[in-house]
Amino acid sequence: MKEREYTFDASYQPQVRTKTGTSNIMLDVIIALIPAMAVGVWQFGARVLALLAVSVLSAVFFEWGYRKLMKKPNSIGDLSACVTGILLVLTLPSNAPLWMPVVGAFFAIIIVKQLYGGLGKNFVNPALAGRAFLFFSWTKLMTSWAVPNHLSADAISSASIAADAATMATPLSGMKGDLIVSNAYGYMDMFIGKMPGSIGEISALALLIGGLYLVAKKVINWRIPVAYIGTVAVLTLAFGKADYSNFDWMMCNLLTGGLFLGAIFMATDYASSPVTLKGQLIYGFGCGALTVLIRYFGGFPEGVTFAILIMNLCAWAIDKGTRGRQFGVSKAELKAAKKAAKKEAKA
Amino acid sequence: MPYKFRGGVHPNYMKAPQEEVVVVTPPKEVVVPMAQHIGAPCQPIVAVGDYVTMGQKIGDNPNAPVCAPIHSPVSGKVIKIEPRLHPLGDLIPAIVIENDFQDTPCTDLAPLTEEELKNPEAIFTRLREAGIVGMGGAMFPTAFKLKGGIGKVDTLICNGAECEPYLNGDHWTMKLHPEETLKGIEIARIACGLDKAYYGIEKNKQDAIDLLNSCNPAQYGIEIVPEDVKYPQGAEKMQIKAITNREVPPGKLPADVGCNVISTQTAYAIYKACYEGVPCYERILTVGGTAVNKPYNLQCRVGTSFSYIAEQCGGFVKTPKKIVLGGPMMGLICTGLDAVNVKGTAGILFFTEEEDRTVENPTCIRCGKCITVCPMGLEPIYMYNYFKKGDFENMKKYHILDCFECGSCSYNCPGRMPLTHSFKTAKLLFAAKAAEEKARAAAAAAKEADKK
Repeated sequence: MKEREYTFDASYQPQVRTKTGTSNIMLDVIIALIPAMAVGVWQFGARVLALLAVSVLSAVFFEWGYRKLMKKPNSIGDLSACVTGILLVLTLPSNAPLWMPVVGAFFAIIIVKQLYGGLGKNFVNPALAGRAFLFFSWTKLMTSWAVPNHLSADAISSASIAADAATMATPLSGMKGDLIVSNAYGYMDMFIGKMPGSIGEISALALLIGGLYLVAKKVINWRIPVAYIGTVAVLTLAFGKADYSNFDWMMCNLLTGGLFLGAIFMATDYASSPVTLKGQLIYGFGCGALTVLIRYFGGFPEGVTFAILIMNLCAWAIDKGTRGRQFGVSKAELKAAKKAAKKEAKA
Repeated sequence: MPYKFRGGVHPNYMKAPQEEVVVVTPPKEVVVPMAQHIGAPCQPIVAVGDYVTMGQKIGDNPNAPVCAPIHSPVSGKVIKIEPRLHPLGDLIPAIVIENDFQDTPCTDLAPLTEEELKNPEAIFTRLREAGIVGMGGAMFPTAFKLKGGIGKVDTLICNGAECEPYLNGDHWTMKLHPEETLKGIEIARIACGLDKAYYGIEKNKQDAIDLLNSCNPAQYGIEIVPEDVKYPQGAEKMQIKAITNREVPPGKLPADVGCNVISTQTAYAIYKACYEGVPCYERILTVGGTAVNKPYNLQCRVGTSFSYIAEQCGGFVKTPKKIVLGGPMMGLICTGLDAVNVKGTAGILFFTEEEDRTVENPTCIRCGKCITVCPMGLEPIYMYNYFKKGDFENMKKYHILDCFECGSCSYNCPGRMPLTHSFKTAKLLFAAKAAEEKARAAAAAAKEADKK
């Protein structure tokens, strides 16, 4: 054996790395979204599949095209464009025209994500920003909800929809108006998704399954979703609405609208949420409080989209303000150091 | 006990503790580098043509306070004294000895008497003369370290965590020489003037823990502490935290919180030096990686070349891409098979492309996984961002200098960012900057003096 035959790399420490790469994480997110997609298809038919196909394909195409045009390394292998495409469709009504996800994907991938440097550099969630863009551009299309395939008789009669009607109001807009949603829909029906709404938001159960999968796979931790949903629960329980018992009002607020979709899949977007553990709690509280504020006082019934987008913009500042305790530095020492720094800044 | 530390990772341990330790016959030509410790390098005290015995002192630097003498691992004739490739990459003077395969032992060091074994001064002298260094990898002269802690240190800890993947040397030392290892710790404890010492061992070495407990460690004033299996449990600071719940403050040393840590094989080397009069020239190391035919735990003399060691393991079955010294998490890279093992080489890993998970375009996705695993409670993601910008002020503010390069953040990074590597580089830059400033200050002072 002659050692001259070999050349050796001088490479980075450490020499071993975990198996979980970016694409594995994105694949896990896609897997976690399968139940929500399935409920969408079950309630709104094969049209959902067409929307998904168009959205994913266009998102991947824009990602590929932009990187190609800008002579940057190809990045569609990390599957993040797929995730954005799927999430975008899940926030749309099922009767949205097929060109809509294309426009949304363009805005999400090109404007929000790639123009700021691609994966990990976008400061708001691309899918949500895409949805917000579509919402303001085609408000009417974005707020006309198809009647789902499976709806209880109670819901049909109380929403007083005619047999040939194609669209109906969502429970959330009913709550904004006069409808007593807790009488029209049973909690179980709402939980499994027997109600009108955006494709992916209707079934809290399906989203919860996906969320538990993500937590089990350590893709996300519990902090943001729990803080978010918990804050909404506490606030709506404390500040009820006439005609509702406080508990009913809380349940209606939790199960309708995009709360679970937002809390589990949107607010936890890595690039646009804080990285510190304390920061993630604060961010969750902020999302919850803003959602309730917008739902109570805003012009539109739904608050999740804008609550998350607003908190996205605060993520960086939250990170800076919530740095963890360094090993070997006690809390008292940390406080003293902060005080000294403040004094120094003043002087 | 034991106390937990925050963060850490669970790498695939890849250990093969069932592989029996194979004693390696030293090669025909042994190369002994003159730098096998932190501190001033040794000067050769033999000449070409001299006959040396096994264990004879061949290198020393009596004037340097921080130094550990070097002994011949074999008996034979000194044929060359010239610069040779040191495992850490430089050409360093080394003594080349032609092995006569007689292993004629040297009798310069007699076993310590009963009385001497109770006398710290005698023990320190022996530890220095026997060339004992930290065999966990840092290679800090043990006598100097223990002596320096006197008056400050109230807890002596022996580190048996061996949390790095692949490595089994400490595990096997415990299994083969439980009593001797405990006696070695006892000597260090007596030298430090303490009544009690702790021996922290990860729970995945249950057989070793049972064996040590069956030797009645209490009679040596030692308590065995089984610890959680988590990397980097064996890092000095984590070991201190696990056993005493004390945290070494940033920029401070273990002695500042009253602790001193020695490693398992160091304890065994102390035993050999004091009870048998055998200096430090042999250790157990692990050879691993997919490139070698059969991974082994080897009992190997210092100065054996890597190519010879690879041969002992059945040669290469795949083209090796890198040689890692020590464990894969903190181990350093060696670039040639000519290099030889030294006192601190805990493992030699021959990795192929299979173990490589680096990518062409590392991309941070801001998942924050680096923050959750950092045992020091730092924010690697921001440290890296500031490093990229060359923002020294913020790097300092984000405690880049307190990173001890355990590699957990890089290990866990799904985007495959070169985090640990960058922090290492940053620390070097800081050191260079400090040196530059010092030089400038000195020059300015000299100018002042000239004016006057």
